[in-house]
Amino acid sequence: MYGFIWRHLPGNTWIKALISLVLVLATVYVLFQYVFPWAEPLLPFNDVTVDNQ
Amino acid sequence: MAATTDHEEQTDAPAPPPPPRRRGGGGFATAVSVLGELLITAGLVLGLFVAYSLWWTNVIADREADKQGDKVRDHWAEDRGPVGLDTKDGIGFLHVPAMKNGEVLVKKGTSTKLLNNGIAGYYTNPVKSALPQDEKGNFSLAAHRDGHGAKFHNIDKLRKGDAIVFETKDEWYVYKVYATLPETSKYNIKALAPVPKESGRTKAGRYITLTTCTPVYTSRYRYVVWGELDRVEKVDDERTPPAELR
Repeated sequence: MYGFIWRHLPGNTWIKALISLVLVLATVYVLFQYVFPWAEPLLPFNDVTVDNQ
Repeated sequence: MAATTDHEEQTDAPAPPPPPRRRGGGGFATAVSVLGELLITAGLVLGLFVAYSLWWTNVIADREADKQGDKVRDHWAEDRGPVGLDTKDGIGFLHVPAMKNGEVLVKKGTSTKLLNNGIAGYYTNPVKSALPQDEKGNFSLAAHRDGHGAKFHNIDKLRKGDAIVFETKDEWYVYKVYATLPETSKYNIKALAPVPKESGRTKAGRYITLTTCTPVYTSRYRYVVWGELDRVEKVDDERTPPAELR
Protein backbone atom coordinates (compact mmCIF):
# COMPACT_ATOMS: atom_id res chain seq x y z
CA MET A 1 0.00 0.00 0.00
CA TYR A 2 2.59 2.56 1.08
CA GLY A 3 5.01 1.12 -1.50
CA PHE A 4 2.35 1.67 -4.13
CA ILE A 5 1.86 5.29 -3.06
CA TRP A 6 5.63 5.89 -2.96
CA ARG A 7 6.11 4.51 -6.47
CA HIS A 8 3.32 6.70 -7.81
CA LEU A 9 4.57 9.96 -6.34
CA PRO A 10 6.29 12.15 -8.91
CA GLY A 11 9.85 13.43 -8.77
CA ASN A 12 13.06 12.22 -7.19
CA THR A 13 13.49 10.82 -3.69
CA TRP A 14 13.63 14.25 -2.02
CA ILE A 15 10.47 15.47 -3.69
CA LYS A 16 8.75 12.20 -2.89
CA ALA A 17 9.80 12.53 0.76
CA LEU A 18 8.51 16.09 0.86
CA ILE A 19 5.16 15.16 -0.67
CA SER A 20 4.91 12.20 1.75
CA LEU A 21 5.48 14.51 4.69
CA VAL A 22 2.79 16.88 3.46
CA LEU A 23 0.40 13.95 3.00
CA VAL A 24 1.10 12.68 6.53
CA LEU A 25 0.55 16.13 8.03
CA ALA A 26 -2.65 16.56 6.05
CA THR A 27 -3.90 13.20 7.32
CA VAL A 28 -3.12 14.10 10.93
CA TYR A 29 -4.87 17.44 10.48
CA VAL A 30 -8.01 15.82 9.09
CA LEU A 31 -7.99 13.28 11.93
CA PHE A 32 -7.59 15.91 14.68
CA GLN A 33 -9.94 18.42 13.14
CA TYR A 34 -12.77 16.26 11.87
CA VAL A 35 -12.51 12.53 12.54
CA PHE A 36 -11.61 12.48 16.25
CA PRO A 37 -14.11 15.15 17.32
CA TRP A 38 -16.74 13.13 15.53
CA ALA A 39 -15.66 9.80 17.03
CA GLU A 40 -15.14 10.96 20.58
CA PRO A 41 -18.74 11.32 21.75
CA LEU A 42 -19.41 7.83 20.42
CA LEU A 43 -16.83 6.35 22.78
CA PRO A 44 -17.48 5.91 26.49
CA PHE A 45 -14.53 7.87 27.90
CA ASN A 46 -15.89 11.29 28.61
CA ASP A 47 -19.23 11.17 30.37
CA VAL A 48 -18.79 12.99 33.63
CA THR A 49 -22.29 13.74 34.84
CA VAL A 50 -24.67 11.64 36.85
CA ASP A 51 -28.03 11.31 35.22
CA ASN A 52 -30.92 8.96 34.95
CA GLN A 53 -30.61 8.02 31.31
CA MET B 1 -5.42 -3.85 -19.61
CA ALA B 2 -4.54 -7.01 -17.77
CA ALA B 3 -4.82 -9.00 -20.99
CA THR B 4 -2.27 -6.79 -22.77
CA THR B 5 0.24 -7.10 -19.96
CA ASP B 6 -0.12 -10.86 -19.98
CA HIS B 7 0.36 -10.88 -23.69
CA GLU B 8 3.50 -8.75 -23.47
CA GLU B 9 4.96 -10.88 -20.74
CA GLN B 10 4.44 -13.97 -22.82
CA THR B 11 6.11 -12.55 -25.93
CA ASP B 12 8.93 -10.72 -24.17
CA ALA B 13 9.76 -13.48 -21.74
CA PRO B 14 12.42 -15.32 -23.75
CA ALA B 15 14.47 -12.25 -24.77
CA PRO B 16 15.53 -10.14 -21.70
CA PRO B 17 15.94 -11.71 -18.25
CA PRO B 18 12.54 -11.54 -16.54
CA PRO B 19 12.16 -8.95 -13.76
CA PRO B 20 12.89 -10.52 -10.36
CA ARG B 21 9.68 -11.99 -9.02
CA ARG B 22 8.79 -11.03 -5.53
CA ARG B 23 9.27 -13.77 -2.98
CA GLY B 24 6.12 -15.65 -2.20
CA GLY B 25 4.74 -14.05 -5.32
CA GLY B 26 1.21 -13.39 -6.35
CA GLY B 27 -1.92 -12.08 -4.75
CA PHE B 28 -1.56 -13.71 -1.36
CA ALA B 29 1.68 -11.94 -0.43
CA THR B 30 0.27 -8.62 -1.59
CA ALA B 31 -2.88 -9.14 0.45
CA VAL B 32 -0.87 -9.99 3.56
CA SER B 33 1.38 -6.98 3.13
CA VAL B 34 -1.57 -4.63 2.58
CA LEU B 35 -3.28 -6.10 5.63
CA GLY B 36 -0.13 -5.62 7.67
CA GLU B 37 0.18 -2.03 6.58
CA LEU B 38 -3.47 -1.39 7.39
CA LEU B 39 -2.96 -2.82 10.88
CA ILE B 40 0.09 -0.63 11.44
CA THR B 41 -1.92 2.33 10.23
CA ALA B 42 -4.78 1.47 12.59
CA GLY B 43 -2.29 1.30 15.47
CA LEU B 44 -0.89 4.71 14.58
CA VAL B 45 -4.38 6.20 14.31
CA LEU B 46 -5.32 4.84 17.74
CA GLY B 47 -2.09 6.26 19.15
CA LEU B 48 -2.97 9.60 17.63
CA PHE B 49 -6.42 9.36 19.15
CA VAL B 50 -4.90 8.96 22.60
CA ALA B 51 -2.72 12.01 21.96
CA TYR B 52 -5.81 13.86 20.79
CA SER B 53 -7.91 12.89 23.81
CA LEU B 54 -5.35 13.48 26.52
CA TRP B 55 -3.36 16.36 25.11
CA TRP B 56 -4.87 18.20 22.18
CA THR B 57 -8.36 18.56 23.67
CA ASN B 58 -6.71 20.12 26.75
CA VAL B 59 -4.86 22.61 24.59
CA ILE B 60 -8.04 23.61 22.79
CA ALA B 61 -10.19 23.64 25.93
CA ASP B 62 -7.73 25.65 28.02
CA ARG B 63 -7.50 28.23 25.28
CA GLU B 64 -11.28 28.49 25.09
CA ALA B 65 -11.69 28.54 28.89
CA ASP B 66 -9.15 31.36 29.20
CA LYS B 67 -11.01 33.33 26.58
CA GLN B 68 -14.39 32.84 28.23
CA GLY B 69 -12.93 33.49 31.70
CA ASP B 70 -11.36 36.74 30.55
CA LYS B 71 -14.69 37.76 29.14
CA VAL B 72 -16.41 37.24 32.48
CA ARG B 73 -13.67 39.13 34.34
CA ASP B 74 -13.85 42.00 31.86
CA HIS B 75 -17.58 42.04 32.31
CA TRP B 76 -17.19 42.21 36.08
CA ALA B 77 -14.60 44.96 35.84
CA GLU B 78 -16.67 47.17 33.55
CA ASP B 79 -19.88 46.67 35.38
CA ARG B 80 -19.60 48.54 38.64
CA GLY B 81 -23.28 48.94 39.40
CA PRO B 82 -25.49 46.30 41.00
CA VAL B 83 -26.42 43.72 38.41
CA GLY B 84 -28.50 40.62 38.51
CA LEU B 85 -26.91 37.23 38.09
CA ASP B 86 -25.71 36.81 34.56
CA THR B 87 -25.82 33.12 33.83
CA LYS B 88 -25.01 33.20 30.16
CA ASP B 89 -21.31 34.01 30.29
CA GLY B 90 -20.65 32.12 33.49
CA ILE B 91 -21.53 32.74 37.10
CA GLY B 92 -18.06 32.71 38.61
CA PHE B 93 -14.87 30.81 39.21
CA LEU B 94 -14.15 27.72 41.23
CA HIS B 95 -10.83 27.56 43.07
CA VAL B 96 -9.78 24.27 44.61
CA PRO B 97 -6.25 24.59 45.98
CA ALA B 98 -5.94 20.83 46.54
CA MET B 99 -6.57 20.14 42.85
CA LYS B 100 -3.79 22.55 41.84
CA ASN B 101 -5.51 23.61 38.66
CA GLY B 102 -6.01 27.33 39.06
CA GLU B 103 -9.44 28.75 38.50
CA VAL B 104 -12.26 27.03 36.70
CA LEU B 105 -15.00 29.00 35.06
CA VAL B 106 -18.49 27.81 36.02
CA LYS B 107 -21.39 28.07 33.63
CA LYS B 108 -24.97 26.95 33.57
CA GLY B 109 -25.60 23.42 32.32
CA THR B 110 -23.62 20.22 32.01
CA SER B 111 -23.91 19.40 28.33
CA THR B 112 -20.88 17.78 26.75
CA LYS B 113 -20.56 20.66 24.34
CA LEU B 114 -20.30 23.13 27.20
CA LEU B 115 -17.97 21.09 29.39
CA ASN B 116 -15.69 20.50 26.40
CA ASN B 117 -14.70 24.15 26.62
CA GLY B 118 -12.60 23.42 29.69
CA ILE B 119 -15.09 24.72 32.20
CA ALA B 120 -17.28 23.30 34.96
CA GLY B 121 -21.05 23.39 34.74
CA TYR B 122 -23.75 23.40 37.35
CA TYR B 123 -26.56 20.92 36.90
CA THR B 124 -29.88 21.92 35.46
CA ASN B 125 -30.89 18.37 34.64
CA PRO B 126 -31.79 15.85 36.07
CA VAL B 127 -31.59 17.79 39.33
CA LYS B 128 -31.72 21.54 39.31
CA SER B 129 -28.72 22.84 41.21
CA ALA B 130 -29.00 25.54 43.82
CA LEU B 131 -26.70 28.53 43.50
CA PRO B 132 -24.22 29.64 46.15
CA GLN B 133 -26.34 32.74 46.76
CA ASP B 134 -29.36 30.64 47.68
CA GLU B 135 -30.37 30.34 51.31
CA LYS B 136 -30.43 26.56 51.21
CA GLY B 137 -29.59 23.92 48.68
CA ASN B 138 -26.92 21.99 46.89
CA PHE B 139 -24.67 23.68 44.35
CA SER B 140 -23.81 20.70 42.13
CA LEU B 141 -21.08 20.81 39.51
CA ALA B 142 -19.56 18.58 36.86
CA ALA B 143 -16.34 18.83 34.84
CA HIS B 144 -14.03 16.59 32.85
CA ARG B 145 -11.61 14.22 34.53
CA ASP B 146 -9.42 13.80 31.43
CA GLY B 147 -9.14 15.74 28.23
CA HIS B 148 -11.05 18.90 27.41
CA GLY B 149 -9.23 20.81 30.12
CA ALA B 150 -9.42 17.96 32.66
CA LYS B 151 -10.54 20.46 35.28
CA PHE B 152 -11.44 17.84 37.88
CA HIS B 153 -8.52 15.54 37.12
CA ASN B 154 -7.17 15.73 40.68
CA ILE B 155 -10.50 15.29 42.40
CA ASP B 156 -9.05 12.27 44.23
CA LYS B 157 -6.60 14.60 45.98
CA LEU B 158 -9.43 16.22 47.90
CA ARG B 159 -9.57 15.30 51.57
CA LYS B 160 -11.92 16.13 54.38
CA GLY B 161 -11.41 19.73 55.43
CA ASP B 162 -9.96 20.92 52.10
CA ALA B 163 -11.25 24.21 50.84
CA ILE B 164 -13.41 24.68 47.77
CA VAL B 165 -13.75 28.37 47.04
CA PHE B 166 -16.27 29.79 44.66
CA GLU B 167 -15.70 33.32 43.45
CA THR B 168 -18.53 35.48 42.17
CA LYS B 169 -18.49 39.11 41.24
CA ASP B 170 -19.08 40.27 44.79
CA GLU B 171 -18.45 37.33 47.09
CA TRP B 172 -16.10 34.53 47.96
CA TYR B 173 -17.96 31.41 49.06
CA VAL B 174 -15.66 29.22 51.08
CA TYR B 175 -16.75 25.60 51.32
CA LYS B 176 -15.07 22.80 53.25
CA VAL B 177 -15.05 19.21 52.02
CA TYR B 178 -16.76 16.90 54.53
CA ALA B 179 -17.35 13.70 52.55
CA THR B 180 -16.18 11.94 49.40
CA LEU B 181 -17.56 9.02 47.46
CA PRO B 182 -14.77 7.58 45.34
CA GLU B 183 -17.02 5.35 43.24
CA THR B 184 -20.70 5.41 42.52
CA SER B 185 -23.05 4.50 39.73
CA LYS B 186 -23.54 7.01 36.96
CA TYR B 187 -27.26 6.83 37.67
CA ASN B 188 -26.83 7.94 41.24
CA ILE B 189 -28.61 11.27 40.97
CA LYS B 190 -29.35 11.21 44.71
CA ALA B 191 -25.82 12.54 45.13
CA LEU B 192 -27.13 15.85 43.78
CA ALA B 193 -30.12 16.09 46.10
CA PRO B 194 -30.63 19.38 47.98
CA VAL B 195 -29.77 17.42 51.11
CA PRO B 196 -27.30 14.76 49.98
CA LYS B 197 -28.17 11.99 52.45
CA GLU B 198 -25.40 9.72 51.21
CA SER B 199 -22.85 12.19 52.47
CA GLY B 200 -24.25 11.78 55.97
CA ARG B 201 -26.12 15.08 56.18
CA THR B 202 -29.80 15.09 57.03
CA LYS B 203 -30.58 18.78 57.46
CA ALA B 204 -30.97 21.41 54.78
CA GLY B 205 -27.86 23.52 54.38
CA ARG B 206 -25.64 25.16 51.83
CA TYR B 207 -23.80 22.33 50.15
CA ILE B 208 -21.53 21.97 47.14
CA THR B 209 -21.19 18.76 45.14
CA LEU B 210 -18.45 18.06 42.61
CA THR B 211 -18.94 15.17 40.22
CA THR B 212 -16.70 13.71 37.54
CA CYS B 213 -15.90 10.33 36.07
CA THR B 214 -13.69 7.64 37.55
CA PRO B 215 -11.43 5.65 37.21
CA VAL B 216 -9.21 8.02 35.24
CA TYR B 217 -9.41 7.68 31.45
CA THR B 218 -12.79 5.95 31.61
CA SER B 219 -16.38 6.82 32.41
CA ARG B 220 -17.45 3.66 34.18
CA TYR B 221 -18.26 5.24 37.55
CA ARG B 222 -18.66 8.67 39.07
CA TYR B 223 -16.55 10.32 41.75
CA VAL B 224 -18.41 12.62 44.12
CA VAL B 225 -17.09 15.16 46.61
CA TRP B 226 -19.37 17.02 49.02
CA GLY B 227 -18.60 20.25 50.78
CA GLU B 228 -20.50 22.57 53.00
CA LEU B 229 -20.42 26.35 53.26
CA ASP B 230 -17.99 27.58 55.87
CA ARG B 231 -18.33 31.32 55.37
CA VAL B 232 -18.93 34.05 52.82
CA GLU B 233 -16.48 36.90 52.34
CA LYS B 234 -17.13 40.12 50.53
CA VAL B 235 -14.87 40.81 47.57
CA ASP B 236 -12.77 43.92 48.27
CA ASP B 237 -11.41 46.41 45.77
CA GLU B 238 -8.24 44.43 45.10
CA ARG B 239 -10.16 41.15 44.94
CA THR B 240 -7.93 39.87 47.76
CA PRO B 241 -8.54 36.13 47.86
CA PRO B 242 -9.58 34.45 51.11
CA ALA B 243 -6.90 32.90 53.32
CA GLU B 244 -7.37 29.44 51.76
CA LEU B 245 -6.13 30.67 48.39
CA ARG B 246 -3.12 32.60 49.63
